[in-house]
Amino acid sequence: MKKILLMILLLTFYFCKKEEKVNKYPNSIGDITFNAEKDDSNFVLCNKNNVYQYFNDGRGLGYEGEKLALITAVKEKYKPVKTTQSGLIRIRFIVNCKGETGMFRIIQMDDNYEAFSFDKKIINRLLKITKELSGWVIKQRKDVALDYYQYLIFKIKEGEIVEILP
Amino acid sequence: MKKVILYLFLITFFKVASQNCNAYKWEGNLKKYEACKKAKESEYYYQFNHKYHEILDEAIAIDPTYDDAYWAKSIAYLKSGDFLSWKKIIDEAVDLNPKKHLGYRGWCRYQFFRDYKGAIKDIEEFQKIIKGDVGYCQNGDYHLLIAKAICYKAIGEKEKAIQIIETYLEKNDNESDLFNFYHLGVLYFEKGNYKKALKYFQKQEVENNLAENQYYISLCYKALKDFDAYKKKIEDSEKMYKEGYFMRDPYSYHYDKVYLSQIKKELKKSKQI
Repeated sequence: MKKILLMILLLTFYFCKKEEKVNKYPNSIGDITFNAEKDDSNFVLCNKNNVYQYFNDGRGLGYEGEKLALITAVKEKYKPVKTTQSGLIRIRFIVNCKGETGMFRIIQMDDNYEAFSFDKKIINRLLKITKELSGWVIKQRKDVALDYYQYLIFKIKEGEIVEILP
Repeated sequence: MKKVILYLFLITFFKVASQNCNAYKWEGNLKKYEACKKAKESEYYYQFNHKYHEILDEAIAIDPTYDDAYWAKSIAYLKSGDFLSWKKIIDEAVDLNPKKHLGYRGWCRYQFFRDYKGAIKDIEEFQKIIKGDVGYCQNGDYHLLIAKAICYKAIGEKEKAIQIIETYLEKNDNESDLFNFYHLGVLYFEKGNYKKALKYFQKQEVENNLAENQYYISLCYKALKDFDAYKKKIEDSEKMYKEGYFMRDPYSYHYDKVYLSQIKKELKKSKQI
C-alpha cells in the first residue's frame, strides 16, 4: 500500500513538473489572452488560434493615410502632462479581421530599460487615444482577412510625445 | 550598393556557416558543440513559437555561455516591442560575446526604440572593441557608422552627423549603400545649403532613386527658384511613390521618411505657382 501511495505521489510530482515546463511560455511570445475584467466581450476574433504579427506580410504598420495620419491623430488629441517623467510606453493590442481593435495591454520603461510607472494621466490619455484610432488596415492572406497583433510605442520626454513607433 | 549586395550574400553565407556546430568541436569546446546542436533544432519553429524558446532554453542549460541562444531568444521580444524582456535577454548575449552582439544591440536600440543615445553608446563601444570595420546593420540598410550619424542628427548634433557620413564616403570610395547620399542631402537641406543638398540628392538619384529623394530635389529647386524643375520633380515624386519606390521597413520606419500625403500637399502648392 505504501508503495502504491509513493508511486501516486511521484507520478503527481512528475506531471506537475511537466505541466510547469509546458506553461513557461505562451503558445506564441506576446500572446494576449482574453480577460473578462479588462476586455470588451463584443470584440471578436476570426481565428483566435492564429493571430498574426503586423509585420508578417512584409508591409509593416498599416494605417489609412500611412503612419503620418496616425501621428497627426494622436498628437491632435494628446494633451501633454506636466512632469519630469521620460521613457517608453508600449500599448499592444489586436486588430481583428474587421479592422476593429481590442485586448489592449501596456508595458512601461524609463530611459534605462527598467520597468517604470508613468503618471496615470499619461497612460489613461494614451490608452483612450489608441482605442479611438480607427484607420487600421485589414490585413489579408490569400484574400482571407486576418487578426493581427499591433503595438504602438510612445516615446515620452517630460510628459510629451516625441516619437511614435513602429 | 555593391557593398550591400556583398553584405546580403555574406549574411546568407554566415547563417548557413553558423549552423556548423562542428567548429566548436574542432576547438575542443564540447559543451558549446552540444548546445549548438540542440539550438539547431529550433530552426524548424517560428521565432515566436514556444517550442523555439524551449529548445533554446535547453541549449542554454547545456552551456549557459552559448551567446547565440540568448540572441535568438531575444528576437521575438524585440519584434513585439517588449523592450523590458528584450533588453534583459540581449544583454546576456552582449555580456558573453560583445564582439558579435554589441553592434547589433546598438542598431536595434535605434531601429525599434529610437534610443539614439543608447545606440551611439553601443556602436562607439563596438568600434573600440572591433578596431576595424564595424560592418552593416542587421537588415543591411546602413553601415553602422551611417546609423550612428543618423542618431547624432536625431539628438541635434547635425554637424557631427555630416562629418561622420562625409568621412565614411571619403574612406569608402563614395559608397552609396542604399540611402547614404539621401541622408546627407537632407542634412544639407536642413542647413539651408540647397546647392550642396541637390548635389547629393542627384547622386542618390543615380544610385537608388526614391520618391523621397525626388521630393527633396523638388524642394531644392523651389528654394533655388527653378520652378519648372520644382514642378516636374514633385510630379515625379508622386508617381514614384504610387509605383512603390519609397523607403520601407516592415518593422519600423526610416529616418527622414516622407509620406505620400506630404508629397501631395507639395504637389498642390506647386500648381499654384
